[in-house]
Amino acid sequence: MIEVKDLSKRYGDRLAVNAISFKAQPGEIVGLLGPNGAGKTTTMRMLTGFMPPTSGSAAIGGFDVVEDSFEARSRVGYLPERVPLYPDMTTEGYVTFWAKLRGVRQPAQAARAVLERLHLDDRSKTLVRNLSKGMRQRLGLAQALVHNPPVIILDEPTIGIDPQQVIEVRETIAALRQSHTVLISTHILSEAEQICDRVIIINQGKIVAQGKPGDLRKKLNAANLESVFLQMVNKDKRA
Amino acid sequence: MNGVRTIFGREIASYFTSLFAYLIAAAVLLITGILFINNIGRSQDQVAPNPAAIPDFFAFALIFFAPLLTMRLLAEERREGTLELLLTSPTSDSSIVIGKFAGAWAYYTIILAITFVYQVILLNISQGQTDLAHALCAYIGIWLYGGACLAVGMVFSAATDNQIVAAFLASAALFLLWIGDRVGEVIPNINVARFIRELTLQSHYASSFAVGLLRAEDIVFFAGIIAVMLFITIRLVESNRWR
Repeated sequence: MIEVKDLSKRYGDRLAVNAISFKAQPGEIVGLLGPNGAGKTTTMRMLTGFMPPTSGSAAIGGFDVVEDSFEARSRVGYLPERVPLYPDMTTEGYVTFWAKLRGVRQPAQAARAVLERLHLDDRSKTLVRNLSKGMRQRLGLAQALVHNPPVIILDEPTIGIDPQQVIEVRETIAALRQSHTVLISTHILSEAEQICDRVIIINQGKIVAQGKPGDLRKKLNAANLESVFLQMVNKDKRA
Repeated sequence: MNGVRTIFGREIASYFTSLFAYLIAAAVLLITGILFINNIGRSQDQVAPNPAAIPDFFAFALIFFAPLLTMRLLAEERREGTLELLLTSPTSDSSIVIGKFAGAWAYYTIILAITFVYQVILLNISQGQTDLAHALCAYIGIWLYGGACLAVGMVFSAATDNQIVAAFLASAALFLLWIGDRVGEVIPNINVARFIRELTLQSHYASSFAVGLLRAEDIVFFAGIIAVMLFITIRLVESNRWR
């Protein structure tokens, strides 16, 4: 569903993403792990068609993100790190707007359904500016799901919300596994271990390890993913 | 097309759900109302009322009024991060810009249309003695003039994510495009003065539409300004993908 081949992005002199390749299949939750500035967001921005890659290619459902940008974009649901909201709209109006823009046939119905799924239906007439932080996060998720895209890309979806809400958001993401391909970025390692079927550890724009969380742990004889991560990232520093 | 319609719909709705937009409308209608009464008052001294009085006021007021309507359009999307979502939607960059422009222009059209009520009153109290064709011509002119001002405003909204900066720069630009009409008063060389005048928005209104002249060249001028400004705006929006 997601196919990335030798993808690179250069900002001036700095190579933010350096020839990374990976694939993600339907029914799979793939975690992008890495320290801040490793290139997670840049990778996601290329996959969502926000910015073109410097070299290499990426495809969503077989559609190249540059050549068939609209086809690729219509198959992606995206939640950027900072939840993009229109404070002056109602919750329902906000989700309906994105549904319409992505060509959903019955936008109002789709919006109501997704709000119910994310337990926001009792807030459908509330202005976005009056929502709590956790609700805003879920609303961001709602806009990413409303057009029922095969691929869902979430940039740090559990950042800055309380533990109870983190659990809820994680459960929602885990439930997406059945019918979607999910790519999430995080630097919370226990989170990756809990919900991801496979993790890709990137550091300084390069993939330094990938595999099932359990396999990675075994291979490196580590107690948990955290020590795998630290080993990989530090090895890179020494080299 | 779906994109333009959806964006347009959201813009129009957001004008009508924001207090700010109502305040602007109220201010404009209050000032035009006072102007109208003045204009009538003067006409009782046997001077015919000027059918273009309200559009003439708009020609000046747009310097401040248009940037207030456009400053938010793209600057806010950038600041809130929603621009990233718009740019990753299956919609072209140009439909985003055109939808937003159409929303602003439609809102302006509604306010302008409300002021046309003064012409109807005038027609009634003068028992059909006013020049309705002249008034209509001035209204067409100021409608196009407004569109051009809004398009200029959008360029600045796309260039910065600070709304105040966007509004200030747009006002400055519109002021130059207005005052330039009087450049003849300071530049003695008639050809240079004429050239500069031809570039201003005001000259394409004041010496034609405002005096009841409907000229194709002025219509083309305003349409051209709108097209060029929207093109620049689209390019500026697109540049967000390259940062």
